[in-house]
Amino acid sequence: MKIAAGGERLMGRMTARTGEKVLGWASLVAVAFTLVMSLIVVPPDASQGDVQRLMYVHVPAAWLAYLSFFVVFVASIAYLVTRRIRWDRLAAASAEVGVLFTVLTIGLGMLWGKPVWGAWWTWDPRLTTTAILLLLYLGYLAVRRLPESPARRARWAAVIGIVAFLDVPIVQLSVTWWRSLHQGPTVRLLGESTIAPIMLTTLLIALGAFTLLYCYLLVLRLRVGRLEERAVAEALSPRIGVPVAEVVDEGEEAVARG
Amino acid sequence: MTLVRQVGMIAAKDLRIEVRGRHAFGTILPFAATLLVAFGLSIGPGRTLLQQTAPGLLWLAMLFASVLAFRRSYESEGEDGALEGLLLAPIDKAAVFLGKAAAVALQLVVLWVALLLLVAALFDVSLGGDAGVVVAACLLGTIGLAAVGSLFGVLTESPRAREAVVPLLVLPLAVPVLLSGVKATSLALAGLGSQASGWLGLLVAFDVVFLSAGTLVFEHLLED
Amino acid sequence: MAPSSPSNALLSATNDPPIPAENAAVSLSRVTRVFGVTPALVRVDLEVPRGEVLLVRGPNGAGKSTLLAVLATALSPTYGSGAVLGFPLDRGRDEIRRRTELIGHATRLYEDLSGRENLRFWARLTGADDARVDAALEIVGLGAAADDRVRGYSQGMRQRVAVARATLREPDLLLLDEPYAGLDDEAKEAVDGLVARTAARGATVVLATHDPTRGGAAGRTLYMDAGRIVPDPTGGVRR
Repeated sequence: MKIAAGGERLMGRMTARTGEKVLGWASLVAVAFTLVMSLIVVPPDASQGDVQRLMYVHVPAAWLAYLSFFVVFVASIAYLVTRRIRWDRLAAASAEVGVLFTVLTIGLGMLWGKPVWGAWWTWDPRLTTTAILLLLYLGYLAVRRLPESPARRARWAAVIGIVAFLDVPIVQLSVTWWRSLHQGPTVRLLGESTIAPIMLTTLLIALGAFTLLYCYLLVLRLRVGRLEERAVAEALSPRIGVPVAEVVDEGEEAVARG
Repeated sequence: MTLVRQVGMIAAKDLRIEVRGRHAFGTILPFAATLLVAFGLSIGPGRTLLQQTAPGLLWLAMLFASVLAFRRSYESEGEDGALEGLLLAPIDKAAVFLGKAAAVALQLVVLWVALLLLVAALFDVSLGGDAGVVVAACLLGTIGLAAVGSLFGVLTESPRAREAVVPLLVLPLAVPVLLSGVKATSLALAGLGSQASGWLGLLVAFDVVFLSAGTLVFEHLLED
Repeated sequence: MAPSSPSNALLSATNDPPIPAENAAVSLSRVTRVFGVTPALVRVDLEVPRGEVLLVRGPNGAGKSTLLAVLATALSPTYGSGAVLGFPLDRGRDEIRRRTELIGHATRLYEDLSGRENLRFWARLTGADDARVDAALEIVGLGAAADDRVRGYSQGMRQRVAVARATLREPDLLLLDEPYAGLDDEAKEAVDGLVARTAARGATVVLATHDPTRGGAAGRTLYMDAGRIVPDPTGGVRR
């Protein structure tokens, strides 16, 4: 209970305007620092050359693509359990940001793979699973546009958010087994098991920077979500004779105050 | 009334409707057969290639057939608003999910056998090998397709919904069933059934996850 | 159980004290139902004591069907809260459904089954007595056509099956939404008989119809327009 209350206060601080600005600047600085480190400071890879520098964006993007989906999963469960619309708003925001990172992951994966593997697409299990993840995200967002009532939209989306996430590990396993039967282990993009310390450090910095970026984009999208709801409330309010403040979700008001 | 009885009643109702309307065997079987013939033609007459691709094409046809089967299953609920009746009935909503899945799974099993015979004829595939594994792959795979289809079939009421749900959700989610079914079937037909245990295990895991998740969340898809 | 919006802390808009939830068949507080940005029900406050036969009148689009759907728990309120037969609308749906029967716009039939098979299915599913199916079909005059597929039924016949279905159980709350549509006089009498029998055993009835020749048995009349409950437009005080 206390963790939940503390978490809500943290969400409240982060989503307030000052929190948003701080996050924005912090992620900008962190990403800039990452770029400097990855493009200039770190030496090129022994076997793959400069193209390997894509790792510093590709890997964090992949991490965030899956983290976003996990957030969708947790928020979906939270919505079904509590029925507070804020959880649905979080799930929707995380899904949209997640699509961004998923597309980035796949795009960079292909750019990286072309020189290393000689082909744009080799059905690499992780990239294939990520491609399926992208389709699931797009399906999630498409279904969100179908129902008219917000409660039904939230419920349907929550179901998909939960079921699709549960399927992802099974998909990953099946594609990995499938792939291993057809082609011998190719050169993995992240080949060496021992990675030079400076590379590891840069990778960790990149992970941190992009996670900050994810949080910032999430907060931005949440604010847009609240504005959208407010617009709907303002359209609705004169028709039902209820002041706008009451139409807006009460939980929403608590977040704005905090 | 127990959940099992409710499931049985709904499945029986669906099967009776199917027998009356003969949709599965009037429409879906010819569709799947045409699909296989078209696949066979487009891959070409090379015998080895056809034999190698046969299990894959069989399961692909099954995947599309399951989509059609659930479209019909939920269409019968939509014609006169019977789904609302099921919502308002004092039953466990999961019984609708499981009952419809059971009814379609039964139809899919029969379809699978018919398609297997067709594939054996068209693609010159010998039907030797480990019968037990073949049966297991068929049953576990159709249960998996039925679980996914029954859950998402509810969403496909409107045409707009269908455009989004089938290609973006149902097909990607069913990938493990496709891969495992194909591998297990081809290994079994080649007499290498013992190597298929991993794939069968994956099918079991998929079925358990989807049937339990579906049972828990289905009511949320019906409520408004 | 407490609803989320702070507006629900307010009491209902009328001056009468609200009937305690346990004694009321229906108790709605500022129930609003919205489709997109189109309101179908707007801040409806309603108290219906047990055993009352309530008639709901209003033009098309007044929200009668939506109101009945909310009472049946087929739709949930977008804002506001309420209780039916003492059970809250948000958390007590299963209990409400066990005790409520709705004859709505949709006939809820399976086209490829016969009328008898349809009723048997619903009877078994809802725990009603199977044997009553044949009697119910006779009462609504469908004895002969009962074994034909519903696909061939006329609109009037379908409506009669829906009425027959409602006689299979003995709900504490009977909701009828335009039950007379498409029926001949004999079938309309059957509906009236159902309403009378239901009221006679102390259950509550809410009947929505804009057929002016029906509803004489009602105790109270509610008028709706544009999603709201409005005062009697005829000006008089109806008994």
